[in-house]
Amino acid sequence: MSMIRTENICKDFGSLKVLKNVSLTVEQGEVVVIIGPSGAGKSTFLRSLNTLEKITSGKIFIEDELFYHRENDTTVSKMEQSKFSDMLLEMGMVFQRFNLFPHLTVLENVMLAPLHVRMKGKEETEKMALELLARVGLSDKANVYPAKLSGGQQQRVAIARALAMEPKVMLFDEPTSALDPELVGEVLGVMKDLANQGMTMLCVTHEMGFAREVADKVVFMANGMILEEGTPEELFGNPKTPEAKQFLGSVL
Amino acid sequence: MINRIILWLPQLLNGAKMTIIITVISVSIGLILAVFLALGKMSRHKLLSAPCSAYIFFFRGTPLLMQIYFIYFGLPQLHAALTIRSAFVAALIAYVLNTAAYLAENIRAGIQSIDKGQFEAAKALGFSYGKTMRLIIIPQTVRRLIPPVGNEFIMVLKDVSLVAIIGLTDLTKVTRAISSSTGTALVYIPAMILYLIITAFFTFIFNKMEKRYSVYE
Repeated sequence: MSMIRTENICKDFGSLKVLKNVSLTVEQGEVVVIIGPSGAGKSTFLRSLNTLEKITSGKIFIEDELFYHRENDTTVSKMEQSKFSDMLLEMGMVFQRFNLFPHLTVLENVMLAPLHVRMKGKEETEKMALELLARVGLSDKANVYPAKLSGGQQQRVAIARALAMEPKVMLFDEPTSALDPELVGEVLGVMKDLANQGMTMLCVTHEMGFAREVADKVVFMANGMILEEGTPEELFGNPKTPEAKQFLGSVL
Repeated sequence: MINRIILWLPQLLNGAKMTIIITVISVSIGLILAVFLALGKMSRHKLLSAPCSAYIFFFRGTPLLMQIYFIYFGLPQLHAALTIRSAFVAALIAYVLNTAAYLAENIRAGIQSIDKGQFEAAKALGFSYGKTMRLIIIPQTVRRLIPPVGNEFIMVLKDVSLVAIIGLTDLTKVTRAISSSTGTALVYIPAMILYLIITAFFTFIFNKMEKRYSVYE
């Protein structure tokens, strides 16, 4: 069973075609890394999966069920609303700029959605939140406000916050791009642990080392299209398209 | 001079009491109304946003003096059921409705100043619109709203001097009455000092609140 499958996703911003027929499958337990030059549509693709961007046309399947189908900027079919909302919760998202809630402490950030969206009990949620904070190595920061944390720490809190909703797949939208170089490692470390524990992950990143080491599949996007996909060995060792060759030549 | 001020003081304080009561009640109730007006005006549904925009346009675009007049004298002539017997209640209604329009614009600006990423994070975590506003966005706007609300508060405080036209006795009205009965305009000095004391007091309160809501920054 595939976790996420897209068929011919297109996204236009006015006359600008940002995504052109993007079809991708993410299997359960798979770590897929999307690389490519900026402006390739990587983030837009990721954001269209959990409907932060409304696709212009195409189909999105979650666990082999049709989740969302649009043509010509109108919805053709969609899962029944309550199921649609549930499915959205199966996708956790981590943003480039963390987007922690600044008026809440670290612990409150992690607890807010389980309490008010999943409607869980306070004690149970607090226990889980503290476990998650331990997992990302921030137990000692539970009662601190996000502004007091470094970028790397904030991003780890953001990962814990997304995990608190017990998603089946995690979407990472350039999670280390806003970080100082010395802080990148701690975030990638948490992501590696997550991958090793079997989490299904779809990551947009410029960290080629991470892609090489952790990815089951690497996808190369340029100009709104997937130009190549394959194992890290295939893609990094033997890129086929001139675009991929040029891109890898410039970043490696 | 001091003797005369002491003589006037009880009357002046009585007037000040009226000024403060109307201001505090109006801004408090006005704030609640303003939250709904601001959210309404930002709504994508025309049926909701159009009336809210029209409301704000009307109350900001006509003189407060006319609004007070109209609520007290005009409404009963429109329909007997709209008669408000108490001038105090009529004044409160006018100030609440008027200040809500201004506060709504402040709140709208506050909400729109919140980073788009906050809305996205909330959506990705599954929060409904109502919960996003209540739990995530509005609490963050509170601190940013304190300075403009404090400003509006002080504006209302002085605008309350208009209530004299429907027969209420606020600090300005008392001062004018003393001045005309005693034939000296010097009573304006203690009256203005009294205004400044009230303003200073509330500015202090608002500054305190701003500090308290800044803990997370």
